[in-house]
Parts: sequence; C-alpha cells; structure tokens
Amino acid sequence: MSSIVLDRVTVRVPVDGRPAPKTLLRELSLDLTERRIGVIGANGSGKSTLLRLLNGLVAPSEGTVRVDGADTVRSVREVRRRVGFVFTDPLSQLVMPTGREDVELSLRRSIRNATERRAHAESVLERFGLLPLADQSIYELSGGERQLLALAAVLAVDPEVLVLDEPSTLLDLRNRELLRRTLAGLRQQVILSTHDLELARDMDRVLVVDDGKVVFDGEPAAAVAHYRALSTAGLPAPGGGLAGGGLERAVPEQARLEQP
Amino acid sequence: MSGHGFLLATYAPGSSLIHRTPLWLKFLLVVGCGMASFLVADWAVSAVVLALLCGLFLLSGAGPARLLRAVRPVLPVLLAIGLFQWWQLGAPTAARIVLNVLVCVVAASILTATTPVQALLDGVASLARPFRRFGADPERFALTIAIMLRSIPFVVGAYMDVRDSARARGLERNPRALVLPVFISTVAFARQTGEALAARGLGEPEDPED
Repeated sequence: MSSIVLDRVTVRVPVDGRPAPKTLLRELSLDLTERRIGVIGANGSGKSTLLRLLNGLVAPSEGTVRVDGADTVRSVREVRRRVGFVFTDPLSQLVMPTGREDVELSLRRSIRNATERRAHAESVLERFGLLPLADQSIYELSGGERQLLALAAVLAVDPEVLVLDEPSTLLDLRNRELLRRTLAGLRQQVILSTHDLELARDMDRVLVVDDGKVVFDGEPAAAVAHYRALSTAGLPAPGGGLAGGGLERAVPEQARLEQP
Repeated sequence: MSGHGFLLATYAPGSSLIHRTPLWLKFLLVVGCGMASFLVADWAVSAVVLALLCGLFLLSGAGPARLLRAVRPVLPVLLAIGLFQWWQLGAPTAARIVLNVLVCVVAASILTATTPVQALLDGVASLARPFRRFGADPERFALTIAIMLRSIPFVVGAYMDVRDSARARGLERNPRALVLPVFISTVAFARQTGEALAARGLGEPEDPED
C-alpha cells in the first residue's frame, strides 16, 4: 500500500478585490496508508482541495505532500504516474470523442505500438463491461457509463493510488451501487471525497473536513455521526422557519475542534 | 450541455477503399482542397469538386446522415456569407465562396470519418517528429489537434445552450447575453480540460528516454 504524507500543509489562494488571500486548508498533517479512505464535509469545506493536493493539481502554499517519498511539487510527473485522479463530472475528464479513443489516449505514453495499444485498451474496456460501448460517442453514454469510462481511462495506466472527487454525485442509485462494487474490487489504494454517506461507510478510515481543517479522523460510523452533528447543529427545528439566525452556520465551537 | 453538433464527421468504422487509403494521401486531399479554394475562380469547378467529394464520402460507407451532420452546423454561416457576397460581388462569386468552404468541410470530413482519431494522432505526431530537433514535442502537438477536435462540439453546444436560455429570458437579440456566457463557459471548459489532462499526466514533456 502506498504511503501519502501531508506535513503541515496550508493552501491559500488569492481572491480578486481582497488584499488577503483565502485559506482553503490550514496546517494539515496526515499519514494516509489505509486501503480505503473517505473524506466528507460540507460544500466549500476543503475536501476537493485536499484531494487535489495528492495528485499535484494543487500545490501547498506551506508544507509538503509526499507520495511514497515523492514530493508532489518537485516530482509531479512521478506522482501523477502513481496517483490517478477521477473528477466529479466525467465529461470534463474524457477528452476523446469515444471511450476506446479515450482509453487509448491514456496509453499513448506507455504503449508506443498502435496495435498493442488498441488491444490493451480493449482489455481494459472489457474488464469494466464497456467494450460494447467502446465506439459510441461519450455524449451518448449514460452518467454511470461515463463515470465508469473515466475510471477505466485512469486505471488503464495502472496507478498505485486512485483519488476520486465526489464520484457518485451525478449518479442515480443503480449506478452509485455499480460504482461502489467496482471500487470495492480494485487493488489500488482508494481515496475519495463524497456526500454519499453509504459510500463513506465502505471505507476503512474517514476524515471529516470543516473550514479547511480535519475535525475528525477515524472509524466511518463515528465520522459520519460527527459529520451529521456538525451539519445539523444550529439548523432551525423542522417547520421552524428561518427565524433566529436562519441557515447561518452556527456550529458549536466544541464540535469544530473535537478530535478523535 | 444540450448541443454537440460536430463540425467534422466522426469516425465510422469500415474497410472501404477510402478507409484503407494511406493517411498521408488523405492529408494531401485536405491540404489540396484548402489550397485550391484560393485558386479556383469558377463556381462550376467548385460544384464539380464538391460533388466528387460527396461521392467519395458516400463511397466510404459513412452514410449521408453523417455527412449532413458534419455540414449542417456551417450552413447558417454560409447562408449569411453567401447573401452578403451576392449583394457585394454578385451571384457567381457568392456561389464560388460558399462552395469552396463546403469543399474544405467535406474533404476534412472524409479524413475524420475514415480515420480513427488515434491513427490521426499518430500521423500528426510523425509529421511533427522532424521538428523535435527544434524542441517541439510531437505528442503534445498531436494532443493539441485532438483537443481542438474535441472542443468544437463543446463550443457549438455551449452556444446552443446559451441561445436557449437567452430566448427563455427574451434576450435573444442581445449580443452580450449570447457572447459573454459562451466566452465564459468556453474558458471554464478550457481550464477543466487542462486540469484533466494534467491529472492524467498527458501533455507533459516526454521523458528523455522516450
């Protein structure tokens, strides 16, 4: 299993019209070695930024991220060979008109011979049950088929780690179930962010991210319970309307700071 | 995104004579048609060439529907150009210009309809290989062409989406309501595509040992 180490990582981004940059992640130190790791948290909490750090898509403003010892800034190519990344919307990831061509594109660097490349692409598509759809336009595929195809295109180069940013957000129940089963069968280390708490429960370890910090790190059931408490704290009672602070975040300081 | 009209025909698997024609010859056909469009001065010649190319396209077995899909997105633009040229320079010149543009589109469609994208990329990469000594990366060059082909349907689709929403708000005559959102979504798409390529390690300089 790969070892991913974040050492006091802070990520800041400049914001137009503001003198001070916005902090997306603060002083994060983590050692990610489990086979299945989930990241849950509210929209804008920093989940995607955390995942993007692992593939070098985001560079830390302070601190370091290392994948099996390779720094994600200095050795970004090596890191990207080890860490495959799947985006929420497969259409932003699939760059070729058909599935076959997209998987072949992934293999262009590693397999120079066109015939071998084609054969390998077919075997990858077959493994995911996508061979009958190989020559169909990506726009004609269902959401689930597209997500599986995006997964197949990334796994074609056999990375050690698979990072998925909210992979089930755009999927219906059946396709979500298909994705869960597919992920369960992978040999790769899987790190994913999700709003799907069932998917989070399949993980070995779950991190709860809030306001750029990991506020809980541990067993899935406990993490989900913590996230629920965090998300519902300060909400008006059912039917209570928006009086008394409305939907403003009113998470108790204790819940924010609680550590496992 | 609702519309995904593709300016050039998508690949139609097959084993016709045109499918088996070497890639360089098909490239030559496209380049030749592009150059001829500047030289041909008689609309009747352009019409004959267009008819021949349409015949070649149909001979490949790619089908009239695919040809129509490839040509349809340019027809409104050609209509506008044709009417303007007719008004300015007369009917023969207008017909020649419109027919020459169609010749280029159909020639390019023959290439894309009978050549798998990967073969096209291999061809582009080998064409660019001599420029390696000047620091060019053939794979990057090929990838750029692929991204260009992929981006055309997106921009067309974005325009159709924006036009529909402008219509729904009664703003279809407001150029700002049409142009700005298309521009913004195209830039966002370019950023997303760049990020996706980076995440997959595509488009990075080749390893020295490659």
